[in-house]
Amino acid sequence: MPRESSSLADLLADARVWKLKDASASHRLSSSRPVWSTGKSGLDARLPGGGWPTASLVEVLIDVNGLGELQLFLPALAESQRRADGEVPWLVWIAPPHEPYAPALAQQGIELGRLLVVRPPSATEALWAAEQALRSGVCAAVFLWLKGTDDRWLRRLKLAAEEGGALGVLFRPERHRFESSPASLRLLMTQGEQQPRLELLKVQGGRPGLVDLGAS
Amino acid sequence: MKAGQRRVQTAPQTAPQTGDLFAAPPPVIAPAAATLPIPVLAPVSPRRRPSLWYAVVFAGAPDLPALALHAQQFTSCVSLAEPNALLLEVQGSLRLFGPLVRLRELLDARWQALGIRAQSAIAPSTLAALWCARAGETLCSDDAATLTGRLLALPLICTAWDEERLQTLRSMGIQRLGDLLRLPRAGLARRLGPQAVRDLDIAVGKQPEPRRAFMPRERFRERLDFETEIEHVAYLERALEPVLERCARFLRRRQAGVQSLALRLRHRVRQPTALRVGFASVTGEQPRLAEVLAQRLGRLELPAAVRAIELHSGTLQPLSAISLDAFGGGGRDTALQLIERLRARLGEQAVYGVTTQREHRPEAAWRRVQQLSLTAPSARGGVPSLETLPSLEAMPRPVWLLAEPVLLSRREVDELRLESDDGRRDPERIETGWWDGKGVARDYYRIRPAHGARLWVFQERHTKSWYLHGMFA
Repeated sequence: MPRESSSLADLLADARVWKLKDASASHRLSSSRPVWSTGKSGLDARLPGGGWPTASLVEVLIDVNGLGELQLFLPALAESQRRADGEVPWLVWIAPPHEPYAPALAQQGIELGRLLVVRPPSATEALWAAEQALRSGVCAAVFLWLKGTDDRWLRRLKLAAEEGGALGVLFRPERHRFESSPASLRLLMTQGEQQPRLELLKVQGGRPGLVDLGAS
Repeated sequence: MKAGQRRVQTAPQTAPQTGDLFAAPPPVIAPAAATLPIPVLAPVSPRRRPSLWYAVVFAGAPDLPALALHAQQFTSCVSLAEPNALLLEVQGSLRLFGPLVRLRELLDARWQALGIRAQSAIAPSTLAALWCARAGETLCSDDAATLTGRLLALPLICTAWDEERLQTLRSMGIQRLGDLLRLPRAGLARRLGPQAVRDLDIAVGKQPEPRRAFMPRERFRERLDFETEIEHVAYLERALEPVLERCARFLRRRQAGVQSLALRLRHRVRQPTALRVGFASVTGEQPRLAEVLAQRLGRLELPAAVRAIELHSGTLQPLSAISLDAFGGGGRDTALQLIERLRARLGEQAVYGVTTQREHRPEAAWRRVQQLSLTAPSARGGVPSLETLPSLEAMPRPVWLLAEPVLLSRREVDELRLESDDGRRDPERIETGWWDGKGVARDYYRIRPAHGARLWVFQERHTKSWYLHGMFA
């Protein structure tokens, strides 16, 4: 039988085979990158390295805007712009649900001269723009708001983020919760009793579960 | 600093010591040349140093700009003398092409090679050289002292003055320049006009003549007709490659770049399709031209098969040293290139920045910025200067601001417990704008409804109705 006589090399050459060695190598690579504190000690403690990983893709599942989802990232972004030696890195927001309000961002210490808003006409164009921005190497973070997208595109975004050393954050509705995703971190943000509820669905190198955001 | 520079210069010599002959390829010369300005229409000032002019008069009706390009291989200062002559300042060329006789042979051989009959002369003044060339006098001298003597025998016709003037002079019995130069100048000016006297002064070298240097065509323009019509964009891209290559070469020769390219696709019946791409900075590099053009073509739906393409460059602009990244890290994008690529595909308006404005009305305290400044932000440290913020110590602003405030219904107001005291405390009052008809009188509250979101709402002070204006995301 030809199938049984195939060598290991043939097997590895098959694109469907995922090599664990590569996976661990890329993981080592990303874990050696700096992490950015989320500004919330409860969340930092649950993330490997103690903060948002850079050069990776993070997925936030959220149905309602305004639960403080950006507050999880803005302090880290302001810090990354402030601490940059040399060129101040760019932040790119693609297809945000509303207009990013400049005075609010300035209050939080974001360098507005390095913020780019992109309004693509379609989801495919949005994904393309995100890939370009992530890969460019001039962005600290790329935020992308999407109604939905398939696994294949997410994998491309993840690769682009790793290549460009940027943090990619994808905001999607909660209904994508049960789809597979290559993101190294998946978060679910929902309305809670007193304050928003944050759940880690997937943490590469960590433990999923509910996060206590503490008083904010 | 000094030591570093020296090391760079001697790099080719030190490389063999490391045992690797090919380790240090010679640096590209472009950056050094890039500091040279693009030739502009600047008057040539011949009196700075002794100038020497080569004049050539062509037979028939020559294409002067094309010939001027040939002449520019010998000197940067070429000037057109309509209708059929060129003037070259050759003093500076002697070092490379001299001595004088040889330079002249080289130039004359060039016209001969092109199959054009030409007469030339070299003299220390523009008009002397030109007049000698017209008269067929093969003067070849850089001696200003004997110049006047060499002109005396020239016939008047070589001045190319108008027929009326020449007729006047002929009736006075004047045949040669020598006769004219002997006449009192005041009388001459009265009879022939000041222009003729000025010409004479220039010819004998008493007065310099500023001349405009010839500047080559300011745009690249090329049309390419296809033998078979092209129906797919992918083939168009390939067909464009050689044109873009020539365009890039055209720009490189001029140390120039463009900020826009226009492409016309001609169809058999329909109106031509016109495309225009802009670049975020002046560029002349082929890969960049090709990439942005390809992005633009990528979102084009061909209305019909393409019969021919025409590529027009925008106005040429001098390259700044920054845009040539011959030593730059290659591969990695710059922010410029990213923005450019996004804009080429998504449209100019779809990519923008935001900035704050000094204004108390929240909806007017920001605006979009299309002109993205790509220089490093002025205020390092992240926080913009305080003047740009309405009031930093004011209530925190929400990251999402609704385009229009949303009127809250009675039920929503109840649900948010806006009327009760525990849902609201310490409002920020914004009352302004009464002078321009868009006055506002609002009390803003930051509220947190039960489910955890945080909202920015205001109560219109006159109507007492409630509005949602933003979300603290």
